[in-house]
Amino acid sequence: MTLPEVVRTTRWMIRDTIRQSLATKLFWVMLGTTVVATMFCLSISVSIDANDKPSAEFPGMLPRSEAEKIGIDKVREDGIAVVGGELTLGFGLMTVPIVRSKDDAVMNLMLVMVGLVGDAFGVLLALLWTAGFLPQFLEPQSATVLLSKPAPRWVLLLGKYLGVVGFVALNAIVFIAGTWFALGIRTGVWYAPYWLAVPLLVINFGVFYSVSVFFAVWTRNTTVAAFGTILFWLVCWSINYTHHHMIAYPFAGFSGQGSVFLDIAYWVLPKPFDLGGIFFDAMNADGFRSKTDELKLVQQAGRFHPELSILADGLFAAGALAIAGYELETMDY
Amino acid sequence: MAHAATFENVEKTYRSGVLSRSGITAVKNVSLSIPAGTVFGLLGPNRAGKTTLVKLLLSLAAPSTGTVTRLGEPIRARRTLARVGYMHENHAFPRYLNAGEVLHFYGGLSGVPTAELPARVNRWLERVGLADRAAEPIQRFSKGMVQRLGLAQAMLNEPDFLILDEPTEGLDLLGRQMLREVVAEMRGAGKTVLLVSHVLGEVEELCDELAVIVGGQIAYRGNLNELIGIPGPERRSLEAALRSIYEKGAAS
Repeated sequence: MTLPEVVRTTRWMIRDTIRQSLATKLFWVMLGTTVVATMFCLSISVSIDANDKPSAEFPGMLPRSEAEKIGIDKVREDGIAVVGGELTLGFGLMTVPIVRSKDDAVMNLMLVMVGLVGDAFGVLLALLWTAGFLPQFLEPQSATVLLSKPAPRWVLLLGKYLGVVGFVALNAIVFIAGTWFALGIRTGVWYAPYWLAVPLLVINFGVFYSVSVFFAVWTRNTTVAAFGTILFWLVCWSINYTHHHMIAYPFAGFSGQGSVFLDIAYWVLPKPFDLGGIFFDAMNADGFRSKTDELKLVQQAGRFHPELSILADGLFAAGALAIAGYELETMDY
Repeated sequence: MAHAATFENVEKTYRSGVLSRSGITAVKNVSLSIPAGTVFGLLGPNRAGKTTLVKLLLSLAAPSTGTVTRLGEPIRARRTLARVGYMHENHAFPRYLNAGEVLHFYGGLSGVPTAELPARVNRWLERVGLADRAAEPIQRFSKGMVQRLGLAQAMLNEPDFLILDEPTEGLDLLGRQMLREVVAEMRGAGKTVLLVSHVLGEVEELCDELAVIVGGQIAYRGNLNELIGIPGPERRSLEAALRSIYEKGAAS
């Protein structure tokens, strides 16, 4: 099969997947989630009494109530910013006192949006929702006509994979755009690194969706594809975290073979915990939120390699897809 | 004589179980050729191996031993599938598509040039009587309508070799008539049709040659007149002839 034919077939499969997602109402469910998140952001307002910036020499800040006890002028003379204000949610229904600058408060919200809503909740939900796409497609009754077309089976599978990942990418863009504009309009904070969440979410989903593809080809069962992938995500997250924890807090009882095994498992398997750390750094979040101790200590030890981590994740996804493609190519229908 | 398809000493065993240690042999030692330009019937009782032969021909399964060719090339050459049309009895097209989208999708994957696709889709929707239902989701279609769409899908790439697996299942009188016309046109154009059917009247009316498979082996290969005799008082019914072959095959 020539490259133009591969491209053409892939395009047909992507178009079909988008149609499938529209027909299964998945697009609208995901859009609905984005609308809710955007409305939440639109309901936020931040008011700050003072918005001093800490000096480069003595970075730090104190809540107004604490600074008043010492004397506000004295605190400021020492290069420490005095902050005090409140964040309101639900168009004023709920008020939360904040002890940070306005920019930092908004950026912190962005971090929560991506880390909790997008990366954990959104990606896992997308994995659950899209898990049925491939088993349906591979059902013998519907697949026989499709598989008797000239396109190799692996190209059909690749097209389906790219279609689903493209669909999730589209949703990730809409989600980030919606929440970014909403927060910007309400607070005046337009923080561009927030957009780096789009590739982060797509990579995270794409890596784990390749596992879903593998399960789907292997078993043609939606439940196995959905829950097998979620379970695999939990295993990978635990191994990733444990790997860093063992570097941060080594203890004598764990060394030698166990350490080598953990190292191999860390590099071979996807690393969802690392992706969170990479986004944390991309957001320059150190200034307004403390990083997990494990990540901080691993970075200090020079054992955190973001580029290699992403590359290894990409290779894992390619490997999972290659195995799934081979399995499908050699399968009797 | 050119052949649209050949099977040489073909055996197919479907493996299953742990480490594929058990298996079911669906066809064994099958040697058969389907001459180009004929309407060829493939008959046999249930579980005789007819569908396995069709699957081998379409690269949906690989032979365990032996060689299969399609339009003069080994079946691993998938490009020849662009010249094959396939219609089977239980189409399950994606339910989220409408009739027009189904034909565009399968036509695109069959390699029909993009520029020609809309005209061909319209022509075949018209031909199978679904032009006025083109925008309707196929989940609302009856079985007969889905079969008509299946025929349009199989013909969209103007195939040189049409494989029909129980094609009239669910088709009404007019649908059957339309199918017979399509087969006649294929024959007229010197193209090949493989018809797998249990409807004996259809086989008698349409097929030039036929093969009967029983228990995974070819039990008869020849033309219809050789099997049932030339038209006249001595001629026996196809049903009687087939029953005799099936019983002999089962006994052996």
